[in-house]
Amino acid sequence: MGIQEDQIREVQEIAGRLLLDKQVAAVVGLFSNHGHVGPHLFSSVDDLPGLALEPRYPLALDCRTLLSNFPKDRLGVVVRGCDERALIEMAKLQQVDMERLVFIGVACSDDQARQCACEKPYPRQIDVGEKVDGLSPLDDKKVQELIEQDMDARLVFWQQEFSRCIKCYGCRNACPVCICDECLLEETCWVEGGQIPPHTSFHLIRTFHIADKCVGCGACEAACPMEIPLTILNKLMREKLKELFHYEPGMEVSQRSPLITTLEEAPIRGL
Amino acid sequence: MEKQAFSPRIIAFCCNWCSYAGADLAGVSRMQMPPDFHIIRVMCSARVAPEWIIKALSSGTDGVMVLGCHIGDCHYISGNHRAAKRLALLNEMLAFVGIHPDRLLVDWVSASEGSKFQTLVTGFVQRVRELGPMEISGQEPMIKYQVAD
Repeated sequence: MGIQEDQIREVQEIAGRLLLDKQVAAVVGLFSNHGHVGPHLFSSVDDLPGLALEPRYPLALDCRTLLSNFPKDRLGVVVRGCDERALIEMAKLQQVDMERLVFIGVACSDDQARQCACEKPYPRQIDVGEKVDGLSPLDDKKVQELIEQDMDARLVFWQQEFSRCIKCYGCRNACPVCICDECLLEETCWVEGGQIPPHTSFHLIRTFHIADKCVGCGACEAACPMEIPLTILNKLMREKLKELFHYEPGMEVSQRSPLITTLEEAPIRGL
Repeated sequence: MEKQAFSPRIIAFCCNWCSYAGADLAGVSRMQMPPDFHIIRVMCSARVAPEWIIKALSSGTDGVMVLGCHIGDCHYISGNHRAAKRLALLNEMLAFVGIHPDRLLVDWVSASEGSKFQTLVTGFVQRVRELGPMEISGQEPMIKYQVAD
């Protein structure tokens, strides 16, 4: 507990400095109000004593909304590894302007990293906290089990999982990289209207659409009221992206997805 | 014996500039091919969106072929590069959810390669016959409700 309080103090100091020096108009972070933690826009140093770091709450989508609401201001953001990667992917898709964001990088604790089974529980620049090693998706027991099963068993597993879906679109709405104005999943051509659960293809289409952008923040799974293990699929897709194209989403704004470049620019490896 | 009698339903997406002409050549040359495939002509193999393939496979199609120009010969310069990469990744996803990767075939057929088209189709139909019918659509919806227009 002591360590976390120190970290909160450090973040408060950095955020306070940014605000007082007028480097940023406000800082986006988490605020604890009578034990309830939620996103908050710290526009003055008076709010900072309420700043919180845990539990984890993805902030990338809030940043996009705030940046569009304050088109001229710079914002500070308290980012975890996943938030930063999500913002980088959003910058590639012209959803946020990186010039207008100032990151306060927080490395996740070991517990947090384990809870999320996170691959990279730290941002590029760590301002607060100690870097802990991430977990490879293949360390995950569920992923291991699934890979070892045969095709038919996997199909049965996924159909069972997807049969719980109530098509609330929570996974899509929570996803920081699902940014289309017109969503394919709302078109009856691809997803039949008026039936629950939706066909397995609903999830397959969604997974593939974000396959080259997914940063593994786990917001989809956290949002799912039916507890469908969506991150397993995404984890495997990220592994495959690494294997086939040596590409990881959310690293640099200048890196382009291999799916939109030519074979000379990013060849398929290992085939 | 039973599997031999199964006649699969196969969709072949052929690009307008090479593969469709290749398929045409195979037809005009009266090459023998199994009659189990349906050709859908698209302007480029890159036009084949992943959701098309997912939808096809989840609504009763047993196999999907995507045929384009040879790498370097694309009418749109790099369309087939994108198709190759995208579909390679799609295949990995299909395998992970339990759809056999052999049900999706990506290959290149030029306008003069009628016999290559014949070989590909024959081989693919044979392979899909071995795999048997695609069984993903078996799920009955639990709740159906009326959607307002």
